[in-house]
Amino acid sequence: MSQAPTKPPPGFRKTSFEETAGLFDTGAPVTGAVANGDGIASTFGDGTVRFFHPSETSPAEVHAHNGVVLCCAAEGDHLLTGGDDGKFLRIAPDGTVNELANFGSKWVDCVAASNGLRACSSGRKAYIWTSGRSEATELEHSSTVGGLAFDAKGSRLAVAHYGGVTVWEQKKHRWKKSKLFWQGSHGAITFSPDGKFIVTAMQENALHGWRLRGKIDLAMTGYPSKAKSFAWVGETPYLATSGGYEAICWPFDGPQGPMERPPLCVGQHGENIATCVEAFPLLNAVFVGFQDGAVLVSELQETKDVMALRGPTGIEVTAIAINQPQSHLFVGDARGHSLWAPLKN
Amino acid sequence: MVGTEQVPVTVLTGFLGAGKTTLLNRILTEQHGHRYAVIVNEFGEEGIDNDLVVDADEEVFEMNNGCICCTVRGDLIRILSGLMKRADQLDAIIVETTGLADPAPVAQTFFVDDDVASRTKLDAIVTVADAVHLGAQLGEHHEAEEQIAFADVVLLNKTDLVDAAGLDSVETRIRKINPYAKIIRTTRCEAELNAVLGLDAFNLDRVMEFEPDFLESDHAHDHDDDITSISFVSETPLDIEKFQKWFGKLLQTRGQDILRSKGILNFSSTDDRYVFQGVHMLMDASTMGAWPEGKARNSRVVFIGRNLDSMGLKEGFESCKAA
Repeated sequence: MSQAPTKPPPGFRKTSFEETAGLFDTGAPVTGAVANGDGIASTFGDGTVRFFHPSETSPAEVHAHNGVVLCCAAEGDHLLTGGDDGKFLRIAPDGTVNELANFGSKWVDCVAASNGLRACSSGRKAYIWTSGRSEATELEHSSTVGGLAFDAKGSRLAVAHYGGVTVWEQKKHRWKKSKLFWQGSHGAITFSPDGKFIVTAMQENALHGWRLRGKIDLAMTGYPSKAKSFAWVGETPYLATSGGYEAICWPFDGPQGPMERPPLCVGQHGENIATCVEAFPLLNAVFVGFQDGAVLVSELQETKDVMALRGPTGIEVTAIAINQPQSHLFVGDARGHSLWAPLKN
Repeated sequence: MVGTEQVPVTVLTGFLGAGKTTLLNRILTEQHGHRYAVIVNEFGEEGIDNDLVVDADEEVFEMNNGCICCTVRGDLIRILSGLMKRADQLDAIIVETTGLADPAPVAQTFFVDDDVASRTKLDAIVTVADAVHLGAQLGEHHEAEEQIAFADVVLLNKTDLVDAAGLDSVETRIRKINPYAKIIRTTRCEAELNAVLGLDAFNLDRVMEFEPDFLESDHAHDHDDDITSISFVSETPLDIEKFQKWFGKLLQTRGQDILRSKGILNFSSTDDRYVFQGVHMLMDASTMGAWPEGKARNSRVVFIGRNLDSMGLKEGFESCKAA
């Protein structure tokens, strides 16, 4: 890995974030990033995992998968990853790799972890491991799993697939299922922080949500492209989403959630599509990464000024992650450029 | 965004036992340093010799866009997006469908999904047909007809097992369904690599190469389930508004029966050529620069589909002529 040339595009002055940032040219697309204790862990298209830590100028590199790292989730200071080599791995910050499962030529598309539970999916099946047990529980679905999410307590696992979502709930050591229907293909999935709503990103230009009580549908449409990235922000809370020309933030307070309410839209950057969002809880703000490489940060108020953290580079932002103390930020793009820098107020 | 090369995707169809795996292995052993990914289906025959084989479930789903026949392959959207995250650039991707698959959802995925269309492009649909059994299969399974109708190339395989008269008769059946596909006769799928890969058949540029075959354009057929083709030529320039109105309504109302359509048009209002090609209700169209010197400046269209006789195509096309 080499330090990349840090020339800003003509007409743009470097931001102070860019000036202090370590910029790394890894050569393989950044496929994901998550907070991982005091640092962050990022994953790459060549199978590499990199741990960035505030006290280190360069990341620790781990050669984890023989192929693309398709998905990741933090488990304490460890990282769970799934790859197109069919492996489900647990990686320690010191670089120790532990193979949890191997599905051969079938990809491991999704992983999730919560409160001692861990899960992955391969094809139509999701697998759940409860702490202390080496055998996984197999959960079968009617079609390929597109997304996995545990609720905050770790008592329910939501699985997105074609035609809707299956919610599995642990009752007396058995997993019982209930179904939520909506035509189309459902991918990335999330529970609201209070566990009352489920939202999926669809393979169309829309998100779909359900209020679990009464199984009420919430259609969130009108996006110019797919909303692949989302993050819960603030007390309300808002679900900030990519896929628009700014971060589209849906309010989830009150019993109805965003039903019949307009979203809050912040962080516009011309005619560029937002490709990645991340919460900045400390300032009740959201980081927004764009198709052209720019990264903005905006408080969740339409009247507030937007600050540019990084100017356009011409390369799509594919991952943004802030560490748990909210002191450092990671930005990764489709060509493998990674920025890691402290945040100044 | 910085422009990225679109990786060509070849769709390989054909009934079970026709020789898809033989063709795949032939392509893969002759790849000469090129890097290919192969997406196989869950019922695929064993023994594909490549280090990048991806298992897929053919998951066809309807889009929520109100377009009734607009089905896409969801698994393909997911897998192609995963392959595009690789550090190494692929030279081509080959998608093998199950024997009974309709090729339309695969093709439509490239029209409908922006992520797929921005990073990959549909190169061609290659159909492997068993010279011995195709005749019977065409009568029994509508999928066999669709696979021939959608094909840019038909590899008529196992020709050593059929006599010359038999081969001519099966080729006539193919021509009746699809007069524009290139037919390659083989015994063990021994086609040249450049006859099946890198064809760029869905590029609008290539549409201009087609010359309708007048002899074939008005043939009779046995019953309404049959897929046939029909083509028209007009020396009189067309009116763009009349054409768009007629053609838009045609695809909207009869798109389910029109499997493929393409054309090059001479509009009275412009000196540029206008080219289109479509799969069912979806189409791709663009102006393609001025007409070349010394070439006939006429409009040519072709339709491949079912019940074409009932669509008033000839009258519709005639009514688009500029006054």
